[in-house]
Amino acid sequence: MKNHPVDEEPPIEKPPFFKTWNGMYWLVLGNLAFTVVLFYIITKLYE
Amino acid sequence: MRPLDWIVLLGTLGFIVIYGIWKTRGSKDIEGYLKGDNSMKWWTIGLSIMATQASAITFLSTPGQAYEDGMRFVQFYFGLPIAMVIISITVIPIFYRLKVYTAYEFLENRFDLKTRSLAAVLFLIQRGLAAGITIYAPAIILSTMLGWSLTATIMVIGLVVIAYTMSGGTKAVSVTQKQQMAVMMGGMIIAGFMVVRYLPDNVSFVEAVAVAGKMGKMNVVDFSWDWKTSWNDRYNFWSGITGGLFLSLSYFGTDQSQVARYLGGKSIAESRLGLLFNGLLKIPMQFIILFIGVMVFVFYQFNQPPVFFNEGTKSKVYATAHADELRSLETKYNDIFKQKQQAVHGLVDALKTEDEAAIAAAQEQVNTYTLAGKQVREEVKGVIQKAVPDAETKDTDYVFISFIMKYLPTGLVGLLLAVILSAAMSSTASELNALASTSVIDIYKRSVQQDGSPIHYVKASKLFTAGWGFIAILFATYASLLDNLIQAVNIIGSIFYGTILGIFLVAFYLKRIKGNAVFYGAILAEAVVLYCYFFTDIAFLWFNVIGCVAVVIFGFILQALIGKKEKELVA
Repeated sequence: MKNHPVDEEPPIEKPPFFKTWNGMYWLVLGNLAFTVVLFYIITKLYE
Repeated sequence: MRPLDWIVLLGTLGFIVIYGIWKTRGSKDIEGYLKGDNSMKWWTIGLSIMATQASAITFLSTPGQAYEDGMRFVQFYFGLPIAMVIISITVIPIFYRLKVYTAYEFLENRFDLKTRSLAAVLFLIQRGLAAGITIYAPAIILSTMLGWSLTATIMVIGLVVIAYTMSGGTKAVSVTQKQQMAVMMGGMIIAGFMVVRYLPDNVSFVEAVAVAGKMGKMNVVDFSWDWKTSWNDRYNFWSGITGGLFLSLSYFGTDQSQVARYLGGKSIAESRLGLLFNGLLKIPMQFIILFIGVMVFVFYQFNQPPVFFNEGTKSKVYATAHADELRSLETKYNDIFKQKQQAVHGLVDALKTEDEAAIAAAQEQVNTYTLAGKQVREEVKGVIQKAVPDAETKDTDYVFISFIMKYLPTGLVGLLLAVILSAAMSSTASELNALASTSVIDIYKRSVQQDGSPIHYVKASKLFTAGWGFIAILFATYASLLDNLIQAVNIIGSIFYGTILGIFLVAFYLKRIKGNAVFYGAILAEAVVLYCYFFTDIAFLWFNVIGCVAVVIFGFILQALIGKKEKELVA
């Protein structure tokens, strides 16, 4: 037995600034890549 | 502490708590109490997620970690943004479609009641113990450094959190966490500015970073990999991106204290944005906290640091027959520091000339004195162990609080203590809220009292919040009776976390495996983990991986056997 009724798949709003959610995901992953490269430069610069 | 510090501390905390209670008063049904009426916007969710993860120990220990080991701890978080994207794509739509209150509710829909109850009980044991430690860990440090009573500190943190979490439920937790997060980051940034300001006049910020780099503290990223030794290295790029990913997936995807934060979102979009906000800001936040620790390290290259940062333990040694031994080591340490101070000034001068040979020579001199100082500190730890055998000889948790108390001006001390107490309260509130919702939704409402009124379940949730809060306070009060308690709780967590993650992994990605197979597979996996704990020397962090993989393997095998038997019965 379940506690709550199961509805239809709710509509998903578009993210801000991007046409699709893929754009948002790539922003987060791209930011990670940029951060790692930046940290690598800092590490080498102050070695 | 001076009166102004008390005013800032009590004023900040009092405002946050009263605002939280006032803003979220009067939830009449379970939807409002446990999911905040699904009204939370993405920035509230994002800040709430970050505040839940940032416990007081984050603000006390992380700068100390950087002081001792440099910036490399930040790599531990490299897997987190990837986990945020995976959870946004796969987990959030499923939870929203099923309109669940807890993560474990989904398991009944996917498998059966017994699997849901098993995961919920494993979570309650693990998180119930952790809630006590979330209160105890900062309380022991604050009481040692400020001379406060340990029991009173535990009681104050615990009772205040119980009051507002009980009063406003999930919404109160999220609303207060927004203010708490602002206090935490604001306080830390001011502390960062202050420590840079306290550097000698002839040392610029750039030179301070260069000194830190020459002393091995700007080791942010390490891509190197050695098949023999790197497995034991906890913080490098590879362990961060893989281990950090698995840890983040289990923490944000299956731990109700985090799941509750984004289930309160207004829509799937708001919840996703909240998680992605965390994915964007978590690494910079940790970088800032670690960098403050590195600047405290540089500060102590020009100002005499104590030979041991835990003043409470030092006082205990002074009261024993080993007092003279400690005093003589302290004098030796101070003498070495004076010589090192000259050498560090020499390094700064060499850096200004940009003469590589002069820099290398100065660096070598600094390293010699640093090593000599480290040796004395090791001797001090040996004396402490002899004098007070029960004392903790690791003092990195005390580095930042010691700096705050000794060097920050009146008013800022109160603000920084508000940062630490806010962090303790924000993570404890999330834990109590998650323990209450799991107790009510997955156990009480599902298996004990199925036909109660909405008000009845709100009352039950409040009682469970208070109940878990008092258990946490009780556990925190008696925690000091146990040896090495934090490690003990981490071990308990690792014993259960892997199995819970394995159940969810099967639920989301391995559709062929059904309820009975995963339930008995999880029990067998837990038995394997317990065997590893009692009869092998495997490091406890590996229990997470072992438990998770064992659930998947046993699930596959049992499903094959059960499926075969079912086919035979049908035939």
